[in-house]
Amino acid sequence: MSYKIPMGPYHPALEEPYKLDLICEGETVCDAKLHIGFNFRGIEHLAETRNYIQVIALMERVCGICSNIHTLTLCQAMEGLTGLTPPPRAQYIRVVVAELERLHSHVLWAGIAAKLMGFKTMFMTCFELREKVMDILQAISGNRVNYSMNRIGGVNRDIDDPQAILKMVEALEREMARTVIPIFTTSRTARSRCAGIGVLTLEKAVSCGVVGPTARASGLPQDLRRAAPYAAYAEMEFDVPVQQDGDVRARLLVRALEIMESCKILRQALAKLPPGELHSGDDKFAFATGTATSRVEAPRGEVMYSVSWKENSRNPSRVHVRTPTFANMPAIRWMVIGARLADTPLIQASIDPCYSCTDR
Amino acid sequence: MNLLESIPEQLGTTEPWVEKGGVHWLTLGGMNVRELAKAMNGLHARFVTITAYQLPGEGGLRLEYHWDLDGQLLGFPFQLAGNSIESIYDLCEAVDWIEREIHEGFAIDFLGREYEPLLLRQGDTPGVNLRDAVAASKEKK
Repeated sequence: MSYKIPMGPYHPALEEPYKLDLICEGETVCDAKLHIGFNFRGIEHLAETRNYIQVIALMERVCGICSNIHTLTLCQAMEGLTGLTPPPRAQYIRVVVAELERLHSHVLWAGIAAKLMGFKTMFMTCFELREKVMDILQAISGNRVNYSMNRIGGVNRDIDDPQAILKMVEALEREMARTVIPIFTTSRTARSRCAGIGVLTLEKAVSCGVVGPTARASGLPQDLRRAAPYAAYAEMEFDVPVQQDGDVRARLLVRALEIMESCKILRQALAKLPPGELHSGDDKFAFATGTATSRVEAPRGEVMYSVSWKENSRNPSRVHVRTPTFANMPAIRWMVIGARLADTPLIQASIDPCYSCTDR
Repeated sequence: MNLLESIPEQLGTTEPWVEKGGVHWLTLGGMNVRELAKAMNGLHARFVTITAYQLPGEGGLRLEYHWDLDGQLLGFPFQLAGNSIESIYDLCEAVDWIEREIHEGFAIDFLGREYEPLLLRQGDTPGVNLRDAVAASKEKK
């Protein structure tokens, strides 16, 4: 006999509100339905009532973790409409902040995954490391969540002492390599809770159109930093970690390896930070009538903004945001089919879902 | 001829690609969106999203379908005659949520698919054009 178990929208295993209706036979999940929309904010519509300065502050609040990515993608799209080009130093600073944000996101996710595995010590270790990443972001921007770094044509704040930031990054990298990554990749607890669980096959990953670490853990080697470089990524050397198993462990390994790659990118960007201006310096610019689209590789995968403007208008006429969780979340259904009920919190967490982005 | 250049011929159009605003645009004239989805599947392109626009005045509705092909973003605009277009959900699983979201936010009907359960605005009515609804509520006040 099958029975339905509702999980959410308010549930101890979910960090934010969404709902999984799990159809079970015994302890095995046979099917699942996903429901979102419990916090739908209508931000796209609200954006049409904001001018070009206000809309940046608004879109920074689409997500509480990858806030910088949203302003970066939006500003790149608006730069396409205004013809402004950020100077090289601004492009490098954009890379530095984007990679710090990736570190922040991945370490935060590792902590939550550890908690869901029942690995509380690891949770505390990860959150201690996350604090160090946030300290660096605060040192650069003065803020811990909404960094307000991006503006049309450049960035708002400089990195005054790259060497000091570099030392902090190196200390963080040592800690990651010494504790977090070995424990996650070799410990029995992590292996027994993650290996062979929540598998998303390559075929399903393709048909669901998943992005980011979720796609790369199922064997899809897609990464916009490599395939369609933006900011200063074309000048960075890094690898794109790909795993083939498609299970929770593969998603964990991809993120663990990406932490090391982010540190590699940060070292290059901080060492080569070019001198010069922070923004184009052109305060008088005009929006051309039309639509510009920008895509960025956020910690969870591809973010896309389509921004439409009419000449002489103060506000955008349309802002469409496609967030990575919006693409990844439907795939949870295929991950939980055949899984044990007790594994579903960890499986859904393994895509690093952001309901804030999804219910934008 | 690279893969991108070969697509117009495969889709049976003589229109050239127009690169604008970070997207390679191709206008397909009379081509059906389902034929486009089949062609994109054949090329192993990754579906990205659909962007809906309500054009000013009597301009109606426009949908822009996006696929990613090896890092290049492709765009295909479709002007809607009324407020409906054929669904491609059975051909491309990844469109499910965005078709539902557009149906709920712009009242565009994607023919040949079911919508329940409501994706956004839980407990609300599906198929409401939010822009018109907001404008009407402002007038009422």
